Amino acid sequence: MAFRTEQEVDSLHATIECEQPQPDLYKFVGRINIYKDKEEPVARPLGAENLLLRGATLKNTQHIYAVAVYTGMETKMALNYQSKSQKRSAVEKSMNAFLIVYLCILISKAVINTVLKYAWQWSPDRDEPWYNHRTENERQRHVVIRAFTDFLAFMVLFNYIIPVSMYVTVEMQKFLGSYFITWDEEMFDEELGEGAQVNTSDLNEELGQVEYVFTDKTGTLTENNMEFIECCVDGNVYIPHAICNGQILSAASSIDMIDSSPGGYRREHEDLFFRALCLCHTVQVKEEETVDGIKRGIHQGRPTSFYISSSPDEVALVEGMKRLGYTYLRLRDNYMEILNKDDEIERFELLHVLNFDSVRRRMSVIVKSSSGEYLLFCKGADSSIFPRVVSGKVEQVKARVEQNAVEGLRTLCVAYRRLSETEYEEVCHHLNEAKLALQDREQRLAQAYDIIERDFVLLGATAVEDRLQEKAADTIESLHKAGMKVWVLTGDKMETAAATCYASKLFRRSTQILELTKKRTEEQSLHDVLFELNRTVLRQRSISGLSVDCLDFGLIIDGATLSAVLKPNQEGAGPGNYREIFLEICRNCSAVLCCRMAPLQKAQIVKLIKASKEHPITLAIGDGANDVSMILEAHVGIGIMGKEGRQAARNSDYAIPKFKHLKKMLLVHGHYYYIRIAELVQYFFYKNVCFIFPQFLYQFFCGFSQQPLYDTAYLTLYNISFTSLPILLYSLVEQHVTMETLKREPSLYRDIAKNSLLRWPVFLYWTCLGVFDAVIFFFGAYFLFDNTTFTSNGQMFGNWTFGTLVFTVLVFTVTLKLALDTHHWTWINHFVIWGSLLFYVIFSLLWGGIIWPFLNYQRMYYVFMQMLSSGPAWLSIILLITVSLLPDVIKKVLCRAVCPSATERAQSSRPCLTVEPSTIFMLSQSSSRMSF
Amino acid sequence: MVKQEKELANRPDNTAYTQQRLPAWQPMLSAGIIIPGFVIIGLAFIGIGVALFVTSQSIQVLELDYTGVEQTSPCFKCTDQTIKNCVCKLDFNIDKLFEGPVFFYYGLSNYFQNQRKYGVSKDDTQLSGDLDNFKTPSDTCLPYRYDSQGKPIVPCGAIANSMFNDTFKLFQIVKGVRKQVPFDGKGIAWWTDYNIKYRNPSVPVLKNAFNGTVKPISWPRPAYELDTSDPANNGFINQDFLVWMRRAALPDFRKLYRRITDGDYAKGLPAGNYSLEIAYNYPVLDFDGRKKVLLSNVSWMGGKNEFLGIAYLVIGSLCIVMSIVMLIVYAKFKFPEED
Repeated sequence: MAFRTEQEVDSLHATIECEQPQPDLYKFVGRINIYKDKEEPVARPLGAENLLLRGATLKNTQHIYAVAVYTGMETKMALNYQSKSQKRSAVEKSMNAFLIVYLCILISKAVINTVLKYAWQWSPDRDEPWYNHRTENERQRHVVIRAFTDFLAFMVLFNYIIPVSMYVTVEMQKFLGSYFITWDEEMFDEELGEGAQVNTSDLNEELGQVEYVFTDKTGTLTENNMEFIECCVDGNVYIPHAICNGQILSAASSIDMIDSSPGGYRREHEDLFFRALCLCHTVQVKEEETVDGIKRGIHQGRPTSFYISSSPDEVALVEGMKRLGYTYLRLRDNYMEILNKDDEIERFELLHVLNFDSVRRRMSVIVKSSSGEYLLFCKGADSSIFPRVVSGKVEQVKARVEQNAVEGLRTLCVAYRRLSETEYEEVCHHLNEAKLALQDREQRLAQAYDIIERDFVLLGATAVEDRLQEKAADTIESLHKAGMKVWVLTGDKMETAAATCYASKLFRRSTQILELTKKRTEEQSLHDVLFELNRTVLRQRSISGLSVDCLDFGLIIDGATLSAVLKPNQEGAGPGNYREIFLEICRNCSAVLCCRMAPLQKAQIVKLIKASKEHPITLAIGDGANDVSMILEAHVGIGIMGKEGRQAARNSDYAIPKFKHLKKMLLVHGHYYYIRIAELVQYFFYKNVCFIFPQFLYQFFCGFSQQPLYDTAYLTLYNISFTSLPILLYSLVEQHVTMETLKREPSLYRDIAKNSLLRWPVFLYWTCLGVFDAVIFFFGAYFLFDNTTFTSNGQMFGNWTFGTLVFTVLVFTVTLKLALDTHHWTWINHFVIWGSLLFYVIFSLLWGGIIWPFLNYQRMYYVFMQMLSSGPAWLSIILLITVSLLPDVIKKVLCRAVCPSATERAQSSRPCLTVEPSTIFMLSQSSSRMSF
Repeated sequence: MVKQEKELANRPDNTAYTQQRLPAWQPMLSAGIIIPGFVIIGLAFIGIGVALFVTSQSIQVLELDYTGVEQTSPCFKCTDQTIKNCVCKLDFNIDKLFEGPVFFYYGLSNYFQNQRKYGVSKDDTQLSGDLDNFKTPSDTCLPYRYDSQGKPIVPCGAIANSMFNDTFKLFQIVKGVRKQVPFDGKGIAWWTDYNIKYRNPSVPVLKNAFNGTVKPISWPRPAYELDTSDPANNGFINQDFLVWMRRAALPDFRKLYRRITDGDYAKGLPAGNYSLEIAYNYPVLDFDGRKKVLLSNVSWMGGKNEFLGIAYLVIGSLCIVMSIVMLIVYAKFKFPEED
């Protein structure tokens, strides 16, 4: 049945049954019932391959006839929008903890003041002196209600201690800051034509906190740029002459037989093997010049054509076959055409494709040859093929596979099975039944595949090389130096994976490898192995003491053992929890390799580490659909824009073109973001303590009457305009050490590990500094105002001058405190820091310089000018600012001298000062203003 | 071609800002800067401190409490509030010339002019001479908005109502003869308060503006008769009123009452015996307050204030001490910068 025109489509009478909308993009279960006149309806299965997602673009065709199944919010894409789980960074968590502390401070301040107010007012003269009577209404109010309103009034007065604007600023900082990642030219990949991509800005600072890196191997550590290296049929090895780099090669006889002893049996297997590889795949041939996705030029006497597939392995294999003389030409009308070695075209009817999935780890096709034979070809991982093989030279092939694996090559085994007519009917029956099922289709298909794919005859194996990505080793080394533990999680064989790990310097020659594999646990019980490894690790640690760097451990674990370890212990508290022992071992290993992992196991591992008692910050990086689960699970998920589609990049928090970009991402961007936001958070709490604590102290001197110390405009604008921009800009452009230093010395990353800038002692320091400054502001002003004249004409100042004096000192102190913390003075910093001080002065002059018609009070009128006209006010402002800043300066200088951190050493040793003329100009300006 | 264009579109801008490579000055708090810095700051502060301290020492202050708590006090008799128009005399003596210009302050203690409710209890619009607010004062003035007959109080509010109303006369006793020291009551309030912020209603006769209003309950005379000697010094621009309306920041405060700048006393108060005559009206004992009178002269840096000078000296020396400490620490820890 084919529908080529609109009329033909119009003539179709059918109903479509499909499942309820669900977010899984790669799954669709449905059925189409086609009604023809007076005939029984025909049912056909509909799967994910029949479904076009919203936003999809058509390829290889001009148009398509379709029926809309899901619309609007029910489309899979729409359902996927919401489903992403919210990740919160460690910084955010400590921010919230600090906030709770401040909330408690706020409430206790209000309670203390309310209680003191009523204690103080006990004597009626104080409660209601003759000069300040209450209204009748107030008098009649019950004392409890009065106390409660007083409490609320205090809450309103002190509420500024809760830095609401911090949340706004943090959001802005994250949003704007995340552009630096997208903008980074060093993370731009010429080949892909794309740079890094930020999918969430919530986790920028988490990049500076990573302790565990979980990386996928294929496509992440390696290029996922496959090259066919060799194949072996029954133990005989075939190697194509030239290595294809995409250039055109002659397809003529290029078989190099190492061991040539032709025989009928061998000949037959050889033919079958090459045909199997030419047929058992889902490669498409594209005869155009530009296509997206995977492409390889092949020469067919006609314009260049490409093989396209979602799996680069397949392309490599088909190409390899071509170089060995068997060219897959095309799929036409369900017939696959092959050009064999003798330049004859062979045609096979494609009957069924049993698609690859990562659980089965194999795929099969059923074809009918021109001679009418039914053949089932299967290729897959050795572990999933060997158990299903009944004959063939298993030993030889196995040996070759293992040897290749040790060299780091990716191996696949090929097997076949001849089907009789009746067997074929049975297979069709199984498959159709499973495909038509609306419920549990996946499961049923898996069952059907399991029944069909067995009793194989082993043909041989292939080896494909996947080269390491550029600078992968350097990146891993840097991550190690930065104190991160790198875990490689892969579905590959242990030997392949281990070879890659050595190549990528995950394991060094000095690394002592601990093995926790099925092979070992078969010999000993899991219990014993675990305990033995644990002992080894602990012994080494006790010998080497604190200097652990002399010896490091690498652990290799495979999927089967891992699930045994993770299996909940039936005996309860019996011989101990394997989980804990396993974690203990892992904790002492700098590198861990997990091979033979199922996608879900990757997520499990991440979850296990996440939930361990230190709650380390984890990062998962991968490129394929099978990494999505761990990318979603880890604290930070990074997708590589790889060859296996965009799923990982789409589900990740950040996407980068290459693995090597991870280094800059973590060591530079992550580091910067962390110190920036840490300072931002601490500074916000600090400046609000400075702001509100004097107001709290003032209550003791104004009869606890909730008299604000500052004018309303100052209260409102303090966080919004006087002190907001410098910290925002600091948190965008601060670089406490240069990028080059950060890249050169990855160990600086350790300085900020474990949220070190937002720990309680640091928080306490900042808060104490805030309280100290506030006390200085308030009592400084208090003693200056105490019963004395400020002016030379004998006039007195009032309460608003008092508040303005405190406020002026406050604004200058907190801004200069930030200036002291700034290590990287770009013109922007100069502009905002001196600019906001200037703005404060100008605003105050303006605010007090005019009778504002819309205000019903004019309390600030000329207050600021009057204050500036007084000599002692200037002197006290300078004095109080200096005193407030002194302890912090002294602390900094002494800490730097007594116990400098690695960062501070790096700061000291950097090449000094690159002052620009404009900077000098700005500085001189500022200093003239600072000293009034 | 298409590919190339796409690449160009995606390629990030190579500017100093986007690549975070803006030229920057990278200062560091190193010993080489901080120690000399501390020494300089310390020396400068000590210098200022000495200057301030010396200036402060040269300022003369005379403080006289006249609350009349003790029975021996001449003003004790006036503490009984039933006595109207009580006058008490306080004698004191100055043993050396009190250099002029001398400022005459009154001071109140334990008096909370900075209470929130008290502070808002005034009507700025009324005080700027708006006649509408004469009829209906702002409700911030409650409970000093209308009197018991429902007539609007002008000026309304607690601050105005509680205006300080003791008056003082100072006499020098020269050979048994009382010679009045002339007071200058001009310019004791802020210039802006007197000229801009507070305005009398613009009517030809001030008294008429107050028709239909009543004076604040505690006031002996209405606002337009505050100063009987000078008709221009009445209403909302009366200097004493303005001084009072500027709320003090702290519960112990003083306010300028008069200057002594005229006549024989322009150079100051010569040594001798003086008598202060106080019209004692203002009740403070209810709330345990104190009243006092202060005579003080000022320098370029205002009145006597030892705190500022001492603070400068202390901080200055602290800077010097810290620079020495830092020097020792650095010597011990071997100047990490020079490594």
